[in-house]
Amino acid sequence: MKLLRMVGTDFGKMLFVLLFFASLPFWINHVGFYQYIGVEILIWCTYAMAFNLALGYTGLPSFGHGAFLGVGAYAMAIYQLNFAGQSLWLGLSFALLFGAMAGGLVALFLSHRRGIYFALMTVAFGQVFWFIAIKWRSLTKGEDGLLNLQRLPAQFGLISFNLDENFSYYFFTLAVFAFTLIMLWILIHSPFGHIIQALKQNEMRTRFIGYDVRVFKWISFTISAGISGLAGGMFALAQQSAFPDVMNLQWSGIIVMMVIIGGGLVSFWGPIVGTIFYFVARDLLGAYTETWMLWFGLTFMLIILFQPEGLVGIWRKVGAGLNRKYFQAASIPSQDVSLPDSSLQQIK
Amino acid sequence: MLYLIPHLINGIGLGLLFALIALGFTLIVGVMELINLAHGSLFALGAYFALVVLGVFQPLQEITSPLFSYGVALVLAPLGVAVVGMGLEVGMRRTYGKDPLYGLLFTFGAALVIEEAIRVIWGSVEYSLDVPDLISGSILLGNLIYSKYRIFASFFSIILIVLVWYLIERTKMGAIIKAGAHDSEMVRALGINITRLRLFVFAFGTALAAIAGVIMAPIWGIRPHVGVDAVIPAFLIVVLGGVGSFWGSVMAGLMVGLTAGLTGAYASDWSIVSIYILLIVVITFRRRGLFGKASKLDI
Repeated sequence: MKLLRMVGTDFGKMLFVLLFFASLPFWINHVGFYQYIGVEILIWCTYAMAFNLALGYTGLPSFGHGAFLGVGAYAMAIYQLNFAGQSLWLGLSFALLFGAMAGGLVALFLSHRRGIYFALMTVAFGQVFWFIAIKWRSLTKGEDGLLNLQRLPAQFGLISFNLDENFSYYFFTLAVFAFTLIMLWILIHSPFGHIIQALKQNEMRTRFIGYDVRVFKWISFTISAGISGLAGGMFALAQQSAFPDVMNLQWSGIIVMMVIIGGGLVSFWGPIVGTIFYFVARDLLGAYTETWMLWFGLTFMLIILFQPEGLVGIWRKVGAGLNRKYFQAASIPSQDVSLPDSSLQQIK
Repeated sequence: MLYLIPHLINGIGLGLLFALIALGFTLIVGVMELINLAHGSLFALGAYFALVVLGVFQPLQEITSPLFSYGVALVLAPLGVAVVGMGLEVGMRRTYGKDPLYGLLFTFGAALVIEEAIRVIWGSVEYSLDVPDLISGSILLGNLIYSKYRIFASFFSIILIVLVWYLIERTKMGAIIKAGAHDSEMVRALGINITRLRLFVFAFGTALAAIAGVIMAPIWGIRPHVGVDAVIPAFLIVVLGGVGSFWGSVMAGLMVGLTAGLTGAYASDWSIVSIYILLIVVITFRRRGLFGKASKLDI
């Protein structure tokens, strides 16, 4: 029982998530998948977690986040190709830095915008970055993309790991993911995290308490963009190329869908659930039908209508039901997860 | 200055088309405070429905004129799309009264689904819509060549814009619609069925999207992805003009057309990105766009 209760805490969940991912390469081939999907899932999980810092925690509906992923990917690619960069750490730092710089620049225009005007401005900025990526051919090679990147070796002092194999690269992405996950958890549970959640619930009241909400929105958006850039750098290494596709509106929308289907609006873990759901659905449905996006879109519409708390919300409802049924004596006050407006709920 | 005139005329023509594309979007945003991201997909659906109608009339060529079948397509396709729109509105009712983000996300999902459905039914190949002889070809004005169809489309846009304006601003129906947007409870207390009113407004907005789709089809071509090319300018124009302002949107459409037309003439690579920069500049200085009013969408 004690162990079971520990699983319920964030520490237990984090341990579970990390153990799950750490064991993944050893059994994924046996359930009909392949190694590379693990790499994809982890990179997109990192990106989704970063995105949810903006959407779920700060309440900033960004529809142009792909731009920052793309900037990170291009930073890594240009560092390798144009500057003959050979250091993995420097490449990833550039990805993070340029993602954060792009995000910081955009957030300067955005931090005093709200609601729909905010959303539209992110669309406009996302499109601007996308167009630059396509049109600045001398630097980005336009739609052909930058090809032939190397997976640089990860050097720790004297020891150096070769990441050419998907198996070893997977564990490197896992390390980056774990690092981001822990950092984000600490950030969200810090005073800063409480302020951004407060301003999500009521921006005006937070301002009246004396916080400069614009600064907090700016910081949150910039951190989110920086981590997205880092994920982009990892993505460029995984694909060994950088393309403008991930920057377009559709891909920026897909990350929104992943996070919301998973339950990013109500849970720290939602983005991870949503990302896994997306990739598993893509491969399972994609094997049967060319148009799996149709079914994914329908699922998304149903989730928005009936279960905006996403898969995590469904899990909680089921869990609460079982609790009532089997642990009546424990007399846990039943968690009512279906509040009328989940966007106003605090993330648990 | 004289060499600018053709570009200005092109820009205004383009602007009228943009205003036409945004018209249904403006109506739904203004009256229902709902961002309909499926606007572009319904726009594309309109073009495909027109294709179907013209296909049906193909064997009847002997007894009907192309102009007649084109006119029929221009009426029937929007009606078909309006039915789809009604289905969408009924499904969406659960999101009313919640954070406007839910309506936006729901229609985003719908946009994806409609686009994929189009791919399933018609495939990804590009179709073209034949235009009757009367409005195809080109015409010589002074020493400049103009496409007849573009002139027709521009005048059609003007007529439709004026009609929608008349309906909203000068009829009893429009007064009820506007009142419903302003205070739905009061309107309901006066005995007006607001649920049906919303259904009608949404259907009308989607029909306008489809009309724009049919009109733009000969210019842009018909492919599943054309919806995205339509919804982004529409979204942009509405925000630029200000949510809830009819003439704001029309003005914004003209501004966007002029900007795209002028940059298209001198730096064609940058013509599309220039309209985003225009938006960013305007929104940076005017937070509700040019003529926007306060609405629950900016809270």
